[in-house]
Amino acid sequence: MHIPDGILPLSVTGSGYAATTLTTWYSIRKIRQKEDPRQDIPKASLLTAAFFIASWIHIPVPPTSVHLVLNGLLGALLGYYAFPAILIGLFFQAIMFGHGGLTTLGVNAMIMGLPALIAHHIFRLRKWRNSDGQKKTGAFGFLSGVVATGISVAMFVIILLTNLPAEINIVSERTAVYALAIAHIPVIFIEGTITALVTVFIRKVRPGILDGV
Amino acid sequence: MFIIKLKWQSIIAAIAITMACLFMPMEVHAHGVNINYTSNVEIEIIATYDSGIPMAGAQVAVYAPDDPTTPWLTGSCDEEGRFSFAPDTARPGIWDVQVRLAGHGGIIHIPVGGDTTTADGQVGFSHLQIGIMSACVIWGSTGTALYFSKRRKT
Repeated sequence: MHIPDGILPLSVTGSGYAATTLTTWYSIRKIRQKEDPRQDIPKASLLTAAFFIASWIHIPVPPTSVHLVLNGLLGALLGYYAFPAILIGLFFQAIMFGHGGLTTLGVNAMIMGLPALIAHHIFRLRKWRNSDGQKKTGAFGFLSGVVATGISVAMFVIILLTNLPAEINIVSERTAVYALAIAHIPVIFIEGTITALVTVFIRKVRPGILDGV
Repeated sequence: MFIIKLKWQSIIAAIAITMACLFMPMEVHAHGVNINYTSNVEIEIIATYDSGIPMAGAQVAVYAPDDPTTPWLTGSCDEEGRFSFAPDTARPGIWDVQVRLAGHGGIIHIPVGGDTTTADGQVGFSHLQIGIMSACVIWGSTGTALYFSKRRKT
């Protein structure tokens, strides 16, 4: 789900950078409003590493293979730290793995980072009616993972289909994009399951980690 | 002494054939040899995902060095992710080949003609390089986490 260099026009990549700059500024502003903004940096740092590695975990979905995103997990566990964490992870993925690109860094950050923030707000709903049970944590963790990955896939598809260049075979590319979107359906549920399992595990072992989110 | 009696029609036909052979334009030279040839460099690309799965049916656009905006040639990879083309050697320089499939892909820059020599090449890093780089990033992240954890405790 990383859009590489040379796929999107300059207007779209520029807009991606503008939107990413604005979202990063807003995220940092929200982080600075916390009592101790540095408190969650160790957690954010370790989850950035997890996000960075996730793109190497391939899930074979014939005839192609897809990889984990983990943006729902980052959103659920990090809150507003998730967006800068994903941005840093994407930067390293682009320059080291060639996943995505530097011109499309802004667009990719929006594709994966914005749903992470949505996942954060979904996960916060577990505190509704002042109850934070294990089942609720698992259910909202699952929902966070599913919704975040689902929105990412939808954004990826929409951005690609609305920016197909005239010189390529439009029908063939459109078919391939739809096939890739369908191939991500199992990944959406895997991401939901991973997010649910991790959040429930953390609630059991170190419930304090979930206090701030 | 044998006297061959030929009909007059046969004699005329033989003279006509002989004349035709003498005056027919031909490219054959008595001793010299004239051989013409055309040089074509064929370039083959193989496009695969990180996982090794071929990019079957991926769309390919080839850009000449003097026109990086309009594709000189378009096509698609076969089931094994292969695509071959013969660049115009009269246009030396760096030829760009873009491969894309469902929003994924990349660009490879291939030197053709002139002072450059075409050789095997690839984009990306080896698994060892990727492993080392990944280890560095993970160590950096872990180090950051430990540093801020320690600051919080003190």
